[in-house]
Amino acid sequence: MEQKPIQGEKKVFMTGNETVAWAALAAKADIMYGYPITPQNEIMHYWTRLAPKHNRKFLQTEDEISAGFTTVGGVLSGKRAFTATSGPGNVLMQDSLSMAEMMRIPIVMVVTQRGGPSTATVIYSQQETTLTCFGGNGEGIRVVYSTASHQELFDYTIKAFNTAWKYRFPTFVLGDGYQSQMREPLKIYDPDEKGIEFVPAVAQLGVEGEAGVDRDPIHLRNTYNMEDELYEVVRGLVDDFKAVAPEIEEYREQDVDDCEILVVAHGIVSRAVEGAVQQLRREGIKAGSFRPITLRPFPEKHLRRNAEKARKMLIVESAEGQLRRLAADAIYGCQTPMEGLFRPGESITVEEVVQAVKGLL
Amino acid sequence: MSIQPQMPRLWRRETKPHKFCPGCGHPLILKALAEAIDELGIADRTIFGCDIGCSLLSWDFFNLDTVQTHHGRTTPVMVGIKRARPELICIAYMGDGGGYAIGSQHLVNSAVRNENIMAVLANNTVYAMTGGQMAPTTMPDQKTETSPYGRNVKEAGNPTQGPEMVAAIASQDAYVARGTISKLGQLKNFFKKGLKNQMEGKGFSFIEALSACPTNWRTNAEETWNFIEKDMTKYYTVGEIKAPVQDKEG
Amino acid sequence: MNKRIIEAYVGEYASGKSENAINRALELNSQGRKVRLVDLDLVNPFYTLRPIKKELGQKGIEVVAWGRGEATGLGEAGSLLKPEMKWALHGGGDVVLDIGYGIEGLKVLNLIEGAAEDKFLKVYVVVNIARPMTAAVGDIIEYVTSLGEVDGLINNSHLGTETDREIIHEGAYIVSKVSQELGVPVVATAVAKEYAHLVGKKDPMGNPIKIIDLFMKDAYW
Repeated sequence: MEQKPIQGEKKVFMTGNETVAWAALAAKADIMYGYPITPQNEIMHYWTRLAPKHNRKFLQTEDEISAGFTTVGGVLSGKRAFTATSGPGNVLMQDSLSMAEMMRIPIVMVVTQRGGPSTATVIYSQQETTLTCFGGNGEGIRVVYSTASHQELFDYTIKAFNTAWKYRFPTFVLGDGYQSQMREPLKIYDPDEKGIEFVPAVAQLGVEGEAGVDRDPIHLRNTYNMEDELYEVVRGLVDDFKAVAPEIEEYREQDVDDCEILVVAHGIVSRAVEGAVQQLRREGIKAGSFRPITLRPFPEKHLRRNAEKARKMLIVESAEGQLRRLAADAIYGCQTPMEGLFRPGESITVEEVVQAVKGLL
Repeated sequence: MSIQPQMPRLWRRETKPHKFCPGCGHPLILKALAEAIDELGIADRTIFGCDIGCSLLSWDFFNLDTVQTHHGRTTPVMVGIKRARPELICIAYMGDGGGYAIGSQHLVNSAVRNENIMAVLANNTVYAMTGGQMAPTTMPDQKTETSPYGRNVKEAGNPTQGPEMVAAIASQDAYVARGTISKLGQLKNFFKKGLKNQMEGKGFSFIEALSACPTNWRTNAEETWNFIEKDMTKYYTVGEIKAPVQDKEG
Repeated sequence: MNKRIIEAYVGEYASGKSENAINRALELNSQGRKVRLVDLDLVNPFYTLRPIKKELGQKGIEVVAWGRGEATGLGEAGSLLKPEMKWALHGGGDVVLDIGYGIEGLKVLNLIEGAAEDKFLKVYVVVNIARPMTAAVGDIIEYVTSLGEVDGLINNSHLGTETDREIIHEGAYIVSKVSQELGVPVVATAVAKEYAHLVGKKDPMGNPIKIIDLFMKDAYW
């Protein structure tokens, strides 16, 4: 029998991109389709080094449009297929992701956000939040996990495959260039030994039996002629998404019970925010933090519950209000004033968050 | 008493009459394709992908598992399936816009990588479903909605010679041909050779079929056939363009 | 004048080769030697020495790496060879080369005029066994062998902020095994200053301990 990529559990020290490659292996991904773009590259570098040793496959395509659509093909054929990209590549991939959204194709995609707009920097940002949540000509029928550490990159990449195949929505792991390149310790493990059960991948095309003889053919289409026909399809997608949203939503809160200033951040910025809240608490300032882990579906009720108790809110992000729009939409009607610490394409430190909160007192 | 025409086994009766315009070339191409698949006995493992534009009207045409996509992306979707499940036979079906314009990179790079799929492209010289605009294959001086004074090759370039381009970049083992709906037996044989190439794992095959769009050409039956057989063949050579060493049947 | 020192530090991605290269450059600098530190990471140059170039420069080390200002207009990833890198061995003084990761490994040295035939050049491989690709003796041997001729191994095994004695010792054991098999000496077990209390002057296998300062943690974030 083939050796498992990871036996038991072990503590390792690695970069975020490698973590994703190992997680995809552990999650029994069959094939990766991809196209080079920084800072995503080492996901492919490590996948291409590891995959043949574990009988997995890789295809480097001609662009991200193709990487997205080949992933669609792989998933339709019943394989656990995934891709990864960043920035302008993420823009091109939205074409295939819209298709995946419409046809409930459980694609898994890892995004390592780089600076924008356009090609900008390869370093870091949180500027692909809106794009990843709502890209394409669709309705944001997707699951987006925003990670903050390598441990989460590992855990949520594995989880993404299960979420995708369980609910049949395109599922994203939203990281960033810092998480890609940073090194930190984490535990990698064999999911089977942790009791993680994998939702089986099921073919949507090329199933048992001869079409038209043993069974009806499967005819999947993406194009509709009439408004009412389309409306029904989209209504179904939206209703299905809303129905399962509460079980998918994840968040993390800290010191919220008596907090006056609620600081909201996602992804790696939440690490600075949580550090700042600890420091502020030590100084006797009643700060708390809320971090949506799923940006789609957004944990609306939970943010609202906290927002309504707070005196003021501070949204902190390495983008110009992309998280703010998600938050404002989620708690529409709530009267708590909302301020922002926006640093598009730049990192945010604990000290900067501390200062910003103090400025609100 | 009427004689029922012999239809391929793959022809899905439940979805007939088909959705194409009267006089359209697509159903003829699809008929030849279906016969090729029938004769090779590979229906149980063939996946059909169609594109947007008129080719999408084939989404429920066959007794074959089918997926429809857009903009020439049917090629990478089929590539993705083939790479994940090599035991399947994958056919990407598209028009000239998808294959030669908006999705041309997929055709080019699948050919270069010698992807083991068959791409089939209908060349009817226009963007048909969008209402008759100029296509990569529009003939010199041909009038369309976006070339109302005729295609000016100085501005719009020459019509794309797709199979010639693919033949120039494809691997030794690739199979490339241009057929026409006016020679269905030959077209079917081209499809069979292309599919055999795939079955033998030799790699990419690409078949362009000269097709008809009387709706956008505004032609009657006679003019339609004249255009296909006389006008189009002046520019587009029908025949095998690249054939690996194969048995000589057909 | 002492013999010229020319050393190349090579290792798996994130093995700690840059930290070891920087510390070696600082060590030589503190001995009053003229040192040039060269960033040869051509896969991801913007993540390595660039952010700490200024700090090292103030300490008297000549850093050959793209600086913030210089990178303007060079494109997003800046995978470019700086002319000074090509001529890094010219002009005398000690040279410490920080070789980036990549499947071509030591071939990067071909880009440096005179490096391949330089008789002073020593190549050291930095290994962290907490990196899954170089966790086992067999994998490390395969990796080191793929590099061509090398002069020494450095055990740099750690778990970042979760480093403990066990990982350092386990690393020493595994790297020493590799050393025996390949006949390449272990020149040191490197331990970050924060964890100096976990070790003595030698690791359990008898290799000298070298305490290093960490710089890359300031490189970004």
